[in-house]
Amino acid sequence: MTRYLIRRLALAVLVVVGVVILTFAIARLVPGDPAASWAGPRASREEIAQVREDLGLNLPLPAQIWRYFTGVLQGDWGTSIHTHRPVLSDIVNRVPPTIELVVAAIAIGLAFGIPLGLVSARWAGGIPDGLVRIVAVFAVSMPAFWLALILQIVFFQKLHLLPVAGQYDPNLDYTNPLMQYTRMPVVDSLITGNWAVFRSAASHLVLPALVIAAYPFGVVARMVRGSELDTLSEDHVKAVRALGFPERAVFGRFALKPALVPVISVIALVFAYSLVNTFLVEAIFDWPGLGSYAAASIGSLDTPAIIGVTLFVAIVYVLANLVVDIVQAWVDPRIRLT
Amino acid sequence: MNVQPLPETVEATRSDLVGRLRTNRLVVFGLSVSLVIVFAGIFAPLIVPYPEDAGGAAHPRETLLVPSSQHWFGTDQLGRDVFSRVVYGARVSPMIAFLVLLIACLVGVPLGLAAGYFGGPIDEVIMRVTDVFLAFPALLLALALASVLPPTIGSTTIAIAVTWWPWYTRLIRGQAASVTGRPFVEGARASGVSHARILFRHVLPNSLTPLIVQVSLDVSAVILTVSALSFLGLGAQDPTPEWGLMVNQGQQYFPGQWWLVTFPGLAILITAVAFNLMGDGLRDVFDPKMVRRRGALGG
Amino acid sequence: MRTKGRMVAVVAVFAIATAACTGSSTSPSNSGSASAGGDATFSYATFTQVMISWDPSSAYSNEIIAMSNMYETLTRYDSETQEVVPSLATSWTSSKDGKHWSFTLQDGVTFHSGRPMTSADVKASIERTMELGQGAAYIWGAVKSIDTPDDQTVEFTLKYAAPLDLIASADYAAYIYDTQAAGSKDLGKWFAEGNDAGSGPYTVDAWNEGQEVELRLKASPDYWQGWDGAHYDNYVFRVVPTATTSAQLLRDGQVTFAERLTPQLYDSFDGQDGFTAASAASWQTLLALLNTKSGPLADPAVRQALSYAIDWEGMMVALQGAATSLSGVIPPGLWGHVEGIEPTYDATNAADMLGQAGYGPDGDPLSLTLTYTKGDSDEELVAALMKSDLAKLNVSLDVRGLAWPTQWAKGKSQDLTERQDIFLFYWWPDYADPYSWFINMFHTEEPPFFNLSYYSDPWMDKTMQEAQVVSASDREAAIGLYGQMQDQVIQDMPSLSVYTQQYQRVMLSSVQGYVDNPAYPNVVFAYELTPGS
Repeated sequence: MTRYLIRRLALAVLVVVGVVILTFAIARLVPGDPAASWAGPRASREEIAQVREDLGLNLPLPAQIWRYFTGVLQGDWGTSIHTHRPVLSDIVNRVPPTIELVVAAIAIGLAFGIPLGLVSARWAGGIPDGLVRIVAVFAVSMPAFWLALILQIVFFQKLHLLPVAGQYDPNLDYTNPLMQYTRMPVVDSLITGNWAVFRSAASHLVLPALVIAAYPFGVVARMVRGSELDTLSEDHVKAVRALGFPERAVFGRFALKPALVPVISVIALVFAYSLVNTFLVEAIFDWPGLGSYAAASIGSLDTPAIIGVTLFVAIVYVLANLVVDIVQAWVDPRIRLT
Repeated sequence: MNVQPLPETVEATRSDLVGRLRTNRLVVFGLSVSLVIVFAGIFAPLIVPYPEDAGGAAHPRETLLVPSSQHWFGTDQLGRDVFSRVVYGARVSPMIAFLVLLIACLVGVPLGLAAGYFGGPIDEVIMRVTDVFLAFPALLLALALASVLPPTIGSTTIAIAVTWWPWYTRLIRGQAASVTGRPFVEGARASGVSHARILFRHVLPNSLTPLIVQVSLDVSAVILTVSALSFLGLGAQDPTPEWGLMVNQGQQYFPGQWWLVTFPGLAILITAVAFNLMGDGLRDVFDPKMVRRRGALGG
Repeated sequence: MRTKGRMVAVVAVFAIATAACTGSSTSPSNSGSASAGGDATFSYATFTQVMISWDPSSAYSNEIIAMSNMYETLTRYDSETQEVVPSLATSWTSSKDGKHWSFTLQDGVTFHSGRPMTSADVKASIERTMELGQGAAYIWGAVKSIDTPDDQTVEFTLKYAAPLDLIASADYAAYIYDTQAAGSKDLGKWFAEGNDAGSGPYTVDAWNEGQEVELRLKASPDYWQGWDGAHYDNYVFRVVPTATTSAQLLRDGQVTFAERLTPQLYDSFDGQDGFTAASAASWQTLLALLNTKSGPLADPAVRQALSYAIDWEGMMVALQGAATSLSGVIPPGLWGHVEGIEPTYDATNAADMLGQAGYGPDGDPLSLTLTYTKGDSDEELVAALMKSDLAKLNVSLDVRGLAWPTQWAKGKSQDLTERQDIFLFYWWPDYADPYSWFINMFHTEEPPFFNLSYYSDPWMDKTMQEAQVVSASDREAAIGLYGQMQDQVIQDMPSLSVYTQQYQRVMLSSVQGYVDNPAYPNVVFAYELTPGS
C-alpha cells in the first residue's frame, strides 16, 4: 500500500508541475500585449511598463517560467484587475460558499441518484426504469445556466416560493448576527444554533443546489443502474439466487455493494464538473462564491484572475483524484497492482 | 471520465444489431430527433420565415416583440426573429461539435496508437502529457484558453479540441496496448512487417469500435461545452445565431422578455438529449455490457 | 431499499416544506422613511463592490458613490446651472493669466477625526495626492506650488494656466482630508483597514468586505452644515449584481435607490405609485472614431457619408431609453455643450456621397472593420445596427468585439494595416471640462494613445490649448472656442457622436429632493435629500 501511495503522490506532484507550466503557457498566449492584459483598461503607459517589469516579460523564456513557478509556490498569483486584490486571497475568500453549494448538490445528487438508479435496475425494462432513464438523460443533458434561469422564473416569479438571490437574508446580519467559523452560513448557523439564519440560508441554498445537482444526479443514476445490472448478471449473484435467496436479499445484500464501487470512482469527476458548473450558475443566483468570481473575471477578461482560478481548480481536481484513487485502492486491493 | 482498458468486444451480427436498435424506443427517438435537428440546420434557409435575421439584418423598430403568429418565438433586442435564429443555430453548435471531435480524434488517436504500440519511454512521455491535460476538468481548460484567444468560433473549436484529445489518447492507448500484446502482432513483427502496416491494418481497426461509441456519446457533451463558452461570452459573437450566445444576450431581458432565453435554451437541451440517447443506442448496439460505467457519464 | 427510498422522500419533503414556509418571509425594513423619532436609512443598490480602495487620493473606481458622502472637495460643479459652486471653499479668485489662484476656506469645518480643517490640511492632502501619482492624480499636473498664508486661505501657483476651480471639483483625486488622522501609523495602511479621514456628512460605521450589505455609513454629528430638519441618519450600500434582483428589492421596500435598471425594468416602475423613476443624461459619451489616416475613411467625403448612413433615431428606439442622441462632442449639462448638431439619417444623401467616391449601391463594395469593447451589450447593439444599416448601402462592416487591451493595442499598432476603420468607445471626463475630450482624442498624437481617429489638425491643436488657458479666466470665451471646435469636428468628421448614456434610476417615492449630477456619476448626496414618509 505504501509503495502505491508514494507512486501516486509522485505522479500527482508531477502532474501539478505540468499544470502550472500549462497555465503559464496559456497566460502568455494572449495576443497583443500580455502586460496590457494584466494591467487592465485605462492603464497609463507607465503602469503597463511597470507590469511588464513585474511579470518579467523582458526576461528569456526559461527565466519567465521559473519566476512564474516560484511565484505560484510563494502564493503570489498576481493581482486581480477587477478587484485590485491578490488573486489567491480572492480565491480563498470565495471558496466557502462554493463548497457549501457543491457539497449540497452532490449530496442531493447521491440521495436521489442512488435509490432511483437501483429502482431502475430492479425493474429494468419496465415503466419505472423508463421514467428514471428519461429523467436521468435530461438531467445529464441540461444546460445548467438555462435550468437556473427557468427555476428562477418558476419558483420565484410565478410561485413566490423560494428566494433567488444571495446566501441568506442580509437583514439578519443585524437582527440575528451570525458567528462565522467555516464561513458557510448553513454550517455556521447549525453549529451556533442560530435558527433564523439557518432557515434563511437553507431556503436560499435549495435552488442553486438543485441546479448543480442535476448532473451528478443523472450520472449517478445511470451509473448505478448499469453497474447494478452488470453485477446482477455475474456468477456469484446467480449462484446466490440459485441457492434460493429472495430477490430482495439478492438485490440488497449481495449486489448492492459491488454496484456502488464505480460510484466512488466517479465522484472526483462529478465534483470537478459541478465546481466548474458553478461558474455558469452562481452569478444568476448572486451566490458570492468562486463561480461568480470566475464568471466576473471572464466577463471582464481579468487574465490574472482567470489563470488563478484555473490553476486552483486544476490542483483541487488533482488532489480529489488522488484521494479517490487511494480510497479505491484501499477498498479494492486489485487496483494497487496496476 | 475514468476510461479503463476494455475487454474484448462482442462482434454482433448485423440483424442482431438492427434488432436491438429497433426495440429500444428511447434510442429510436433520440436518433430521429438528432436527424431532424441536423436536417433543420442543413435546410434552414429554406424552412425559416426570416433567413436574413440569422445574419447581419436588424430591425430597430421591432425589438422585443412578444411571440405571435408573425414571430413564433418573438423577436430579440435587435428585432430579429427568434425562431429563425434558433433553427439556424442548428448549423452552429452541432457543426462546431463535429469539428472539435474530428480534430480531437486526429490528434488523440495517433498519439494513443503510438503510446500503446511502442510502449516504453514513448508511452511514458505521452501518458504524462496526457495526464497533465486530463488534470483539468474539461470546461475549465477550454474556458482558460478561450479567454485568452480572440473570441471567435475558431477559437472555441480549438479550445475545446485541445481539452478533448487526451480522452481519446487514453482510450486508444489501452486498446492498442492490448492488441499489440497479442501473438499475431508479434508474429507480424517477426516476419518483418512494418510498424505502419501493423498499426493501420491491425491495431487501428480493432480499436475503432469503442472510439466510435465514445465519440457519439461525446457529441452532446461538446455541444453543452460550446454553449457554456458562448454563454460566458467567449466564442461565437453576434450576429452568429449560437444558442448559448442567445441565452447570454437574452439574460438581461429575463424574465420580462422570457422568450429570448427559453427557446434557445430548450434547443440546447433537446439537442443534447437527442444525441445522448443516440449515443446510448450505439453503445447498446455495439456492446450492451461495455462502457456502461463510462457511458453513464453521457457528457 | 424501499426503506431508504422512503426516508429520502421524507427528508426531501421536510426540507422543501421548511424552505417554503420561510422562503418568502422578509424582515420589515425601515429604509427610506423617517418615522417619528426613528432612524431614516438610505439604502443604495449598486452593481459591483463599492470600496475597492479606501484611499481618497488614489481611489479611481466605484468607491466615489460612498466617498463623496464621507469626503468633500473645495468646490462642486452644479450641472443644472453649469456653474462651479462653493463647497469647502467659500470663494476663490484667479489672476488674469490664470496661473495664480486663491481659495478662501469655509469656517468651522471639522474632520471626523476631530481636528478642525485649516489651509495646511488642504495643502497636505493635495500634495499627498500629487506625490502618490495614482488614479486621477494627473489633474493636478498644472500645480507648481501651494502656499498657505493663513489658516483660511490657500494659494496655488501654476506652471501653466488651468481652470483650477473646475479641477478642484473633480469626482476623483480632489478630496480634502486629514492627513494626520492615522497618527503615527502609515496612512495608506490605516485607510486600507476601512477608516475615513473626511469632513463630509457621513462617516463609516461598518464595513463588511465582500458581503452583500457591504458598507454602512452613519451621520457625523459635527458636520459643519448641521443636521437641522429631516435628514437620513444612515446610509447603506448593498451590492446586487443583477438588475432583476435590484428591482425586486425595490418592490419589497428593502432598498431605497437602484443605481441602474434595464430599460424594460425601468419602464415597469415608471408612473407606479410609491416609486419615482428618474432618467437623466450622463456624461458617458459613445464615440465612433473614424480612421482619418489610412484606409477608405481617410477620405472626408466617405466619413461624411457614414454620418448620414446610420438610422440614428432607430438606434435610440432600439436602446429603449438607455441612451439619447448626442449633439456635438460635449454632453448636455457640461458647459460648452451645443444643441442641434447631432448626426441625421439621410440614406439618399449617403448613397450619393458614397457614389461620388466610387462606392455605394451602384459602385464598388466597401469593406470596413469596426472594433468595440467586448462585454458591453449596448456597444454590441450599436455595432449590429450600424452593420445592418451600412449593408443596405453596399458597405460591409466587419464587427469585432475585443477585450479592451486587445482593441486598444490594435488601434495603437504601428502597422497601419492592423488598425481598424472605426473604433467604438466611451469617453467621460475626470472633471467638468470639455478639454478632456479634445486633448485626449483630437490632439495630434504620435504615437497614438487615445487619439484613435489619428486626427491631426494644427488649428484644432492650437485652439484647444487656447481654450484651456482662456477657461481659467473667461468661461464665456472658452464656450465660444469649444463651439468652434465642435463645428470643426462636424466638418472634418474624425468621429461620429453615437449617443450619451442615460441614467435610469428608480427610487422609493419617499425620497425628496433628488437631483442627478453627471459630474459625479452615480453619486447620491444623501445629505441633500429629505426622507419623506
